[in-house]
Amino acid sequence: MYLGLKEMRHEKLRYSLLSGVLLLIALVVFMLAGLANGLSNGNREAIDNWQATDVYLNQNTNETLSASQLKLADQKYIKGDQVTPLATLSGTLRTDKNRHKTTISALATSRNSFIMPKVNSGHRINGRNQLLISDSLKAEGYKLGQNVRLGTTKRTVKIVGTYTSSTYMISPTIYTDIATLNRLKDMPVTSGNQQTINGFVTKNGRFSHSSHGSLQHLTMTTFINKLPGYSAEQLTLDTMIYFLFAIALAIIGIFMFVLTLQKQALFGVLKVQGIGTKHILAALLTQSVAMSVIGIVIGLGITVGLAQIMPAGLPFVINWGQFGLYSLALLAAAVIGALLSWRTVANIDPAVAIG
Amino acid sequence: MTAVLALQQINKQFGHGHTAVTALKDANFEVSAGQFVAIIGPSGSGKSTFLTIAAGLQTPTSGQVLLNGTELATQSEKARLAYRFNEIGFILQSSNLIPFLTVTEQLKLVDKMSKRPFQKERAQTLLHELALSEVATAYPNELSGGERQRVAIVRALYNDPSVILADEPTASLDTPRSIDVVNRLAKEAHQHNKAIVMVTHDQRLIGNCDVVYKIEDGVMTKQ
Ligand SMILES: Nc1ncnc2c1ncn2[C@@H]1O[C@H](COP(=O)(O)OP(=O)(O)OP(=O)(O)O)[C@@H](O)[C@H]1O
Ligand SMILES: [Mg+2]
Repeated sequence: MYLGLKEMRHEKLRYSLLSGVLLLIALVVFMLAGLANGLSNGNREAIDNWQATDVYLNQNTNETLSASQLKLADQKYIKGDQVTPLATLSGTLRTDKNRHKTTISALATSRNSFIMPKVNSGHRINGRNQLLISDSLKAEGYKLGQNVRLGTTKRTVKIVGTYTSSTYMISPTIYTDIATLNRLKDMPVTSGNQQTINGFVTKNGRFSHSSHGSLQHLTMTTFINKLPGYSAEQLTLDTMIYFLFAIALAIIGIFMFVLTLQKQALFGVLKVQGIGTKHILAALLTQSVAMSVIGIVIGLGITVGLAQIMPAGLPFVINWGQFGLYSLALLAAAVIGALLSWRTVANIDPAVAIG
Repeated sequence: MTAVLALQQINKQFGHGHTAVTALKDANFEVSAGQFVAIIGPSGSGKSTFLTIAAGLQTPTSGQVLLNGTELATQSEKARLAYRFNEIGFILQSSNLIPFLTVTEQLKLVDKMSKRPFQKERAQTLLHELALSEVATAYPNELSGGERQRVAIVRALYNDPSVILADEPTASLDTPRSIDVVNRLAKEAHQHNKAIVMVTHDQRLIGNCDVVYKIEDGVMTKQ
């Protein structure tokens, strides 16, 4: 401790530069993690809000909601707490004369379903052709009472309520009922239980019968991983983060090794004085841990700062548990990197100090 | 009087075959507590080699190093390190100091390693005795060669070892300073019952010594 810290104080430039390198690595790790979280959140926020556990889709659709086609009547095959139908349409929300245009994810369910969001302003859906919009859409110029269109159809629906912002497939959500969505989709059947939907969502679901038509069961985790692009995006960003840990390890390992080689004579003097490998390694460890702590703390500070000024379009979410874990991983890289010089330190012959 | 440190039939060879250099031949040596011993000899005669073997920094090709009657070679590396730290104060011929520690911090480090509080008074007394009080907060690169050498001596004395091995401790000092340093070492031996071995090539400095060994081409003779 004493040796390591004294040396850092005396060689401020050298050790600040090295801390700076670690800071940059930590910063990139945290930024990538924040963006990965942001993307992940953008894809699944609405789903997470449902707090459902199971999804039922058509078995011939490669586990994708939008491609799955079922009938409302298929609900008879499913048992569970609050089985609820789900239909989706991604398209463009627009006001009259295209004054405002926004890409959204439309979600439809039964009017009193548990996945229908709590209304913050306005009222719940209680009639035909009504729409709830995510709070974030208010900032884009949409407001209560407005008549809007969805997609290319000429039909209009009326905004009757807003709820705490959520996103699905990187777009803000809007909610309506099944019949309204089917009308907007120009479906032939827009009432009764022969209406087309995309799937069912429930908690603690199971099939009520061993024969269950063309239905397929997915856990929520599987369902999310099968969201188009989701797994690939997360894997790409996670892989970059894991590579950064390896790079941090290599950089600390190489720096510590080079410093050790440079300081052989000094370590020889220490050994002559009876200060052994253990203490020298402790000094190296102190230094690499101190440098990475400095790098990580400043990196976190900058990340939090940048998150404040990040443009709204850039999805960025700080997950403290995960950031803590990644900080520990960087710290572990620093410890291992310093320990890599163990053999070199152990092999330094005190006689080199005498030469 | 029993020997604190004894070397018996020490041979040391560097290299093999016809390029082999024999640095020490059948050297016998001993020093007891309270004795101030000088080893005198020309350059290249094997003085440093002898001291480093005595300190356990090198192993002899053959022969025994006995510390308080125990053979050093039979000890573990860890035990030898502890021996070097606790029992031996080694003053190297050249740089001994840690570049990023001030003079006082060099001494503090000794206490840190022994996990005891800094002995401020002892440090101040020793620094004063070797005329180093003025430079107590200086780094080694801010000191003159003589000052550095004296700091190394203070460092060796500070840990209160039972044996001090000094390789030309007066090499970079002027004559009056050299005599001061030698007197200081003699005092340490005679008043504090230390075994002190000093290597030198300066005949004028051995007046205070109890025993003088002469070494020439690796052959050691007691005078
Ligand atoms: N590591 C080594 N490898 C090979 N030869 C060595 C080594 N160390 C010392 N020698 C040789 O052993 C002999 C004795 O060297 P040593 O350093 O003990 O002399 P010295 O008496 O201390 O000389 P000086 O007064 O110049 O310091 C010399 O011939 C030297 O070249
Ligand atoms: Mg020498």
